[in-house]
Amino acid sequence: MTTPTMIARPMIEARGVEKWYPNGFQALRGVDLTVNQGEVVVVMGPSGSGKSTFIRTFNALEDFQKGSIVVDGIALSDDVRRIDAIRREVGMVFQQFNLFPHLTVLENLTLAPVLVRGRPRAEVERQALELLERVGIHEQARKYPGQLSGGQQQRVAIARSLCMEPRILLFDEPTSALDPEMVQEVLAVMQELAREGMTMVVVTHEVRFARQVASRVVLMADGQVVEEAPPEQFFSHPQHERSRQFLSQIA
Amino acid sequence: MNPLLRRLRRELFANPVDGVISIGLILALVLGAAAVVRWALVQAQWAVIQANSTLFAVGRYPIEQQWRLWLLTALLAAATGLSWGLLRGTPRGTAQPPRSTRPWPQNDRLAAGILVTLALLVPLGLELQVGIQLRWWLITALLLGLRWSAGRWGRLLPPPLLRLVPLLWPLLYLVGMVLINGGLGLIQVPPAEWGGLLLTLVQASFAILLCFPLGVLLALGRRSELPLLRWGSVLYIEFIRGAPLITLLFLGQNILGFLLPGGMAPERVWRAAWVLTLFAAAYVAEAVRSGLAAVPAGQLEAARSLGLSVPRALIHVVLPQALRVALPATVGQFISLLQDTTLLSLIGLLDLLGTARTVMANPAFLGRNAEVYLVLAVLFWCCCAALGLGSRALETRLNPQTTATQTTTTA
Repeated sequence: MTTPTMIARPMIEARGVEKWYPNGFQALRGVDLTVNQGEVVVVMGPSGSGKSTFIRTFNALEDFQKGSIVVDGIALSDDVRRIDAIRREVGMVFQQFNLFPHLTVLENLTLAPVLVRGRPRAEVERQALELLERVGIHEQARKYPGQLSGGQQQRVAIARSLCMEPRILLFDEPTSALDPEMVQEVLAVMQELAREGMTMVVVTHEVRFARQVASRVVLMADGQVVEEAPPEQFFSHPQHERSRQFLSQIA
Repeated sequence: MNPLLRRLRRELFANPVDGVISIGLILALVLGAAAVVRWALVQAQWAVIQANSTLFAVGRYPIEQQWRLWLLTALLAAATGLSWGLLRGTPRGTAQPPRSTRPWPQNDRLAAGILVTLALLVPLGLELQVGIQLRWWLITALLLGLRWSAGRWGRLLPPPLLRLVPLLWPLLYLVGMVLINGGLGLIQVPPAEWGGLLLTLVQASFAILLCFPLGVLLALGRRSELPLLRWGSVLYIEFIRGAPLITLLFLGQNILGFLLPGGMAPERVWRAAWVLTLFAAAYVAEAVRSGLAAVPAGQLEAARSLGLSVPRALIHVVLPQALRVALPATVGQFISLLQDTTLLSLIGLLDLLGTARTVMANPAFLGRNAEVYLVLAVLFWCCCAALGLGSRALETRLNPQTTATQTTTTA
């Protein structure tokens, strides 16, 4: 991977983020992370390490009690208008796709841009069809999500996020719910996005994707960042015992 | 052998035990039917119905104002025919190919046949005046004519216009209320003069229309994060569900009169309608709550992360899915609400049952209870069956996975 030579612009800056669940369990114990524009940061870690919780704080799907998060220059706070402003700029792709089953594929894509951005429907539909073509499913535009395969649904979900023209895309284990033969088609779309310079934070266990695409790999365990390194170094010469242990488990 | 005979043999007489059971059941059915028919044709005296058909239909609604009700019936028939035809003629969304090949599916032909038979036989059986019979025939013809033309040419209408068609019904409801009640230049007919099927339907439709949005709000309130709203909703729902409707009806008649200063208390009929509404809302809320629980949390998260505000996410993403799940239970509530209107006769209103009781108290028709109750049961059954059919059609249509081929088999 080429390293950007110009001064990197931070898109996400998380400092000392701590989160407790209402039952008293501390999910995040002071997490720091900076994601610069155009970077692809892959977050790995054992289940229960807080990695999903962490990236869900970036668009305020999870709240946090201590620390600060600044997304695209906007500080996350309880101010609802700020949260809505951030959500417009941050797309999210979920493990379970979360497509809207009562809307067609095309309607899934156009709903938010028309309602939230107030753009004319015809224009959004044209853009949506282009996006569907890019992820390779434009001929399914009039079908309902339930009529598509898992891989197709996840590609629709990515296109749905892109239709809002976000500046950052978050992926929460996007391939974990897929049958093995469908993982590649989704990763290919993500790889293409990365190549086009989209800023991405990806929670995944796909080592090959991390090796090929990631700018940095972050390993989380027990609500903390254990190691943060370029993929080559992380996979070949992990510095921490916890990283070595994790890598041997997923290998 | 004839395939029908073969099928009968396979299904009814597959082995000796089946055969014995079948013969026993057929005998029982034939004997029962024969007894009913003999009673209906020989013993029963239908004069009580023939003489009071207007009373059963509209109560003491002034005769010189009844043209308004005829107009309303005609409008309702027109709206039904139009909606029916458009539903069949235009495919849902754009996912399905137009079903131009089958404008009249078997179910529709059956329904049309039943309608025509009823329109011909019932007025005849009631020995209505020729003028009134003619009106029923015209109304039926209007319904079926619009069904035919809307099914045939509905697709040619521009889509924005088609989207407005559902709005026809609330509009028609308002027009109907003005026609029944008076106002806007029409002479007032006070609710005390409404009765029979008219009163029953006004009460039921008023309660059904209002209890639905109320129930949705209560269900949302019960799941709200605001403690006051949540506990308020829980308290209301559980209180209403814990009290019998009849006590609430009496309570409503008394309490509203005391609470509001003189003259402010709504008319008795409307007081009862509000009690029915508030009662049904609690049950609808529970049905909707089960629907809300069936929508995965990820749906709201996905909508929110696309930047939709909570109200928009609810309206466009969560509620459409929740209400589809809640539809059968909700319609079940509507049906029992319709039947609960008979309790109004106990607080002195002349709904269908109340009218029936006054008729049966008339010395001229002494001892003709069976005829009256049978007619009542059939009338209620017709209304409930219509509600049930409508809901099933709606369910099929709202199901995104339903394709054209499935519609014909499940409808």
